[in-house]
Amino acid sequence: MDNNREVVVELKNVVKKYKLYKNDKKRFLSIFMKKIPYKEMRAVDDVSFQIRRGEAVALFGRNGAGKSTILKMITGVTFPTSGEIFVNGRVSALLELTSGFDPELTGRENIYLKGQLIGLLDKEIAEIENDIVEFAEIGEYIDQPIRAYSSGMKARLGFAVNVNIHPEILIVDEALSVGDKAFREKCLKKVRHIIENDGVTLLFVTHSTGTAKEFCNRGIVMKKGKMTYDGDIDHAIELYEK
Amino acid sequence: MSTLKEIILQHITWRRQILLLAKADIIKTYSGAALGWAWAIIKPVITISVFWFAFTYGIRSGHSVNGFPFAMWMIPGFMAWFYMNAMLTKGTTAIRNYRFLVTKMKFPVSTIPTFFSLSNLAIHLCLMVIVCLIFIATGNFPNLYWLQIFVYIFLMALFWTSWALFASMLGCMSKDFVNLIKSLSTAVFWLSGIMWDVNTVASDTIRHILYFNPVTFITTGYRNCFIYHIWFWEQPLQLGIYLGMLVVMIILAVWSYRKLIKEIPDVL
Repeated sequence: MDNNREVVVELKNVVKKYKLYKNDKKRFLSIFMKKIPYKEMRAVDDVSFQIRRGEAVALFGRNGAGKSTILKMITGVTFPTSGEIFVNGRVSALLELTSGFDPELTGRENIYLKGQLIGLLDKEIAEIENDIVEFAEIGEYIDQPIRAYSSGMKARLGFAVNVNIHPEILIVDEALSVGDKAFREKCLKKVRHIIENDGVTLLFVTHSTGTAKEFCNRGIVMKKGKMTYDGDIDHAIELYEK
Repeated sequence: MSTLKEIILQHITWRRQILLLAKADIIKTYSGAALGWAWAIIKPVITISVFWFAFTYGIRSGHSVNGFPFAMWMIPGFMAWFYMNAMLTKGTTAIRNYRFLVTKMKFPVSTIPTFFSLSNLAIHLCLMVIVCLIFIATGNFPNLYWLQIFVYIFLMALFWTSWALFASMLGCMSKDFVNLIKSLSTAVFWLSGIMWDVNTVASDTIRHILYFNPVTFITTGYRNCFIYHIWFWEQPLQLGIYLGMLVVMIILAVWSYRKLIKEIPDVL
């Protein structure tokens, strides 16, 4: 990868600890008292890496290795306990399947809400609205409240919105493994398209090494919160599958 | 102090989205119901009618206050209570109910209580228009004292929006807190001079304690506009206490925000 490109994501000695209390009552009391005992879980332990514009990086690791926590921190929805994170660019994140929809609003209202929240004007949203509806293949349901959607529909709409709002950094957490095979192919094609044409940076969590290999030339392997490898994708897959 | 600055800056940067979300919040509450918007008005009207009936033909048997029928005396304060009650109880779950904004995207959490408050305030303004119409219809025409309503609305919204930030941060951490506040709601109602006049309490100590209830200041204030025709600066003690409580509330809101902002995404 071209080392002259600007760094869009950088993690510096990032540590994320979760405090585990015995129950919610203890957690509530801990706001007022310091002496409440808790166990500490290190979800991410001293991780540092840089990602440059246009790179496609796969993040491997077993369940609980800290992948999702890292993606959440880059997205800005959760905060590191220590260390620093720099992000430069509009992040579009597909965290879990139903990425940020209000269940009471209709699909169309959610498209607008989501667009407005990331700072698009109504005119700009109207331009991509049809693309989104078409891509998501949910037809008449677009004017129904999201709570009436099946999980597949939610995921398709979520994906359609996130890839169509012109992201600069696209974060995909397992979301590509939703829907039927045809839709998956379509998603992959779309992701490939925006990476090649719009210079989008991709950060990708998956257990499917085949898909990862197709997109990414760099892989990061996580094990129990620590980064054990960062480099060539083939080697990363080898380590992960071992 | 820097936290307060951060909160204010977030509100300025996201002002457009705050208004949009307030609008969406109203739409969401009333869409899908056949009568839609009417529900925002129907519930208060029924409550008021029932109380009016009980107090005109029952408990107080039609005594008038300051030349006004008791029902008229009661209405302005009651309308304020509808807003404050919503903020008091539902305010505790404002962030919890919008958890997708916290856990699924980058969004300034401090503005969630604000748009929740604005959405409730919009309904309150509709109700206040009705109140004004009731007074006009019964021959009580607008006068300069009515202008104070805006002062009271501002002071009320500022207090309860701060409360909602404070309470919804804590509400994320514990359902016990949410239930505690809900069960306190009735107590607050009866201790707030909505149904009776706090200024007529004989014991100085008890009266002064009641002044510390922020609901009392607003309901009494609304009545000062419509019924008693008193300016808000003519009761400096009450005003001073309220402003003091307001400052305390803002400090508490900032404290809970600073303390919990980094924990909330992990517990929701």
